[in-house]
Amino acid sequence: MQAETLVQMKHVRKEFPGVTALSDMSFDIRAGEVHVLLGENGAGKSTLMKILSGVYTPTSGSIVVDGKAYKNLTPHDADRLGIRVIYQELSVIPTLSIRENLFVDRLPIKKHGPFHTVDHDEMQRRAEGLLEKVGLRRDARTLVEDLSISEKQQVEIAKALAVDSRVIVMDEPTASLTHEEVRHLFDVIRALKAQGKGIVFISHKLGEIMEIGDCVTVLKDGANVGTHAVSDVTADDLVTMMVGRQIRKNYQDENTPDSFEQEEVLFEVQGLTRRDGKAKNVSFRLHKGEILGFAGLVGAGRSELMDAVFGAAPKQSGRIFLHGKEIRTKSPYRAIRHSLAMVTENRRETGFFQNFDIKENISLISFLKTARGGGTLGLIDRRFERECAERQRKALRIKCASIDQLVAELSGGNQQKVILGRWLAAQSEILIFDEPTKGIDVGSKAEIYALMRGLADSGKGVLVVSSELPELLAVCDTIAVYREGEIVRTFSHRDATEEKIMLAATADGAE
Amino acid sequence: MKGERNMASNARAKEKPTFNALWQRFGTFGILILLLAILAIARPGHFFSTSTLTQILAQSSVNILIALGEFFAILIAGIDLSVGSVVALTGMVTAQMMVAGVHPLLAVLLGVLLGGVLGLINGALVNGTGLHPFIITLGTQAILRGVTLMISNSSAVFGFPASFTRTISVNVFGLIPLVAIIALLAAVVLSFLTRQTKLGRNIYALGGNREAAWYAGINVKLHTLIVFMISGLCAGLAGVVLLGRVGSAEPAAATGFETYAIAAAIIGGTSFFGGKGKIFGVVIGGFIIGVINFGMNLLSLPSTLQQVVMGALIIGSVALDRFVANKK
Ligand SMILES: Nc1ncnc2c1ncn2[C@@H]1O[C@H](COP(=O)(O)OP(=O)(O)OP(=O)(O)O)[C@@H](O)[C@H]1O
Ligand SMILES: [Mg+2]
Repeated sequence: MQAETLVQMKHVRKEFPGVTALSDMSFDIRAGEVHVLLGENGAGKSTLMKILSGVYTPTSGSIVVDGKAYKNLTPHDADRLGIRVIYQELSVIPTLSIRENLFVDRLPIKKHGPFHTVDHDEMQRRAEGLLEKVGLRRDARTLVEDLSISEKQQVEIAKALAVDSRVIVMDEPTASLTHEEVRHLFDVIRALKAQGKGIVFISHKLGEIMEIGDCVTVLKDGANVGTHAVSDVTADDLVTMMVGRQIRKNYQDENTPDSFEQEEVLFEVQGLTRRDGKAKNVSFRLHKGEILGFAGLVGAGRSELMDAVFGAAPKQSGRIFLHGKEIRTKSPYRAIRHSLAMVTENRRETGFFQNFDIKENISLISFLKTARGGGTLGLIDRRFERECAERQRKALRIKCASIDQLVAELSGGNQQKVILGRWLAAQSEILIFDEPTKGIDVGSKAEIYALMRGLADSGKGVLVVSSELPELLAVCDTIAVYREGEIVRTFSHRDATEEKIMLAATADGAE
Repeated sequence: MKGERNMASNARAKEKPTFNALWQRFGTFGILILLLAILAIARPGHFFSTSTLTQILAQSSVNILIALGEFFAILIAGIDLSVGSVVALTGMVTAQMMVAGVHPLLAVLLGVLLGGVLGLINGALVNGTGLHPFIITLGTQAILRGVTLMISNSSAVFGFPASFTRTISVNVFGLIPLVAIIALLAAVVLSFLTRQTKLGRNIYALGGNREAAWYAGINVKLHTLIVFMISGLCAGLAGVVLLGRVGSAEPAAATGFETYAIAAAIIGGTSFFGGKGKIFGVVIGGFIIGVINFGMNLLSLPSTLQQVVMGALIIGSVALDRFVANKK
């Protein structure tokens, strides 16, 4: 049975200066169906969805809804037609509460004769219902700025559910969600499907796609290279369609030892404690050639631990050694001077500079490392800047018109690559990667894993924090499981499995 | 969402580069020419004399100097409301030193340095309290004005060496005021700082994203200090220049000049959100303020009306700039 078609996008083309984001893209959204959009970073997925919501006007092509063709759909039209988009970059307002964010453009109103006021009780009631649905256990009066990124993402999802809709687009909603939160989201999606809504789901995680998708469209260089029923394809087929080749599954060396105890210690943390209990007397060692991963539930404190190691957050006590010599990391500046690097978890808030172009973003830390006087003295070497940026652009295959482009104009995954490039360019001894491949496509992920392995082989230290267990299993030699501010278990990659790690990471798995 | 809309309109703007790219670069310059043209038409006789242009240059110089410093404060998404008071205090102290017999050159040097020290105090207060610069400099604006009144017993100081006022008022080749050359030199040095040095790059980064700057190893406190010191130094220099041009140190000098400085920076394209702006734009912005001031005197508007016209023209210039930029 063919379901009713809700929206048809016909021969859509979108040109930006210097880039054709979409060349000729047709795409249908049907009632009660989850349509997955898959494609490499910069393939044009987000652009297509922004055209659907009227944020961008297509260069040519049209959108057909209810038999009417729109050449120039406005955000207002899209809203009226019941098209909701959860954007890749969060758009919640940090200074408002959760409930105000949910109803920001349609606050419930109470009438007192001629006066109309906001009906806070009604708002609270409806907000609680929505939060329950997406599985966010927070008081609806909490300010959004006090939430973690995954919680902000949940608010964003709840916001799309706050009003009636016909089509809901989710652009990489799971990039920063935890395992459990993803389960909740999938329940929500199934309920929406049952109500006959059309869903567009964008993700780089093939497991999720196979689970929740009904049909999948693969985008390559701005064009549709095929739409298939998910039941007709395997994850490997999808990779081949998207990347054009198969990819390696593991990046550990053939002859890695079972234990690195015998190897030289590159980097060591002893008894690190944070006042807020996110790190309680934590010690670990990183050996030469080893990639050490940190698994754990969100909120366990892995990022906070790394913040303290890197000097971005204060430590109450603890010592850090590099090549056996104690180093003090009182601030990120100090840490960087001691040759540490850290890719942070949240690229928008702690990562890139909107006002800088690609080359300025990439070269910043390299310049700082060679500057004297607290990082202030020295001249900008434009040739070095270009070379530095070009090298990273090639190494990471950053898709851009040129390195003079603003990062804000890049696709989400390519922005992430710019941040990676910045820290790789700094050529540090110890690299801490916190959720390094967030928003990065499968093909590029494989390349980044290979790159990390290369770093470790060349004698650099690599620490990886990730909520994606397959990622840790693919690239790490040793995996430490972190729970409530402590390392509770350590696995060698040979005997680590997703189940064992999950068990150790949850409180009830404790011996 | 909003950002995306803007991005979209930027992208569209770039598709037809000619007019918009030009306007982006030279739009404020166009406004300056427009204002000059209005003056030329209104008072053709006066306008086309060299002395008029010389006066405009001289008058704008103080504005430009203060605005150059203000630019840095705004660039890190802050503000410096104390610049007017710094101008008055440094002018007053310099005058008193000269009256007390200090060599004018030394007095000038110490006056400018005093400006730098006052800026450092602003920066240290911002760092120490963690409060927004708006609050801190609102406070120091009042405090420094008070100090000026105290040390001068609320009266003007005259009687310092004529050589000083004569030197400051010199016109090179009888045409270009020395003070304009000073302002231009300051602009060149600061423009070099913003474009060619790591310090400048770091300041833009700090203004663009404070959190990210911290993680990228930029010493946030050190750079905040430097920024406010630059603002103070510029105001100190402006204080000395104003002293020389006026010929006396008034305790109420430069009242409200911070408004002009902020206006000059914003007219010149500096973003209030931080991280965006160019020295060239600020110089043009400072000129525009100077021309407006001069023009109102030339047209002999009553001083009560001048404030109203100034305010209206500030809004008008920024609005015109944005309007034209969004239109095409
Ligand atoms: N505002 C813009 N200005 C210029 N180029 C843009 C703009 N927005 C997107 N692009 C370009 O269009 C192309 C498609 O970007 P898009 O964001 O749609 O990719 P995507 O498929 O969503 O990728 P990702 O998986 O990384 O999120 C990219 O090359 C990007 O650089
Ligand atoms: Mg995208």
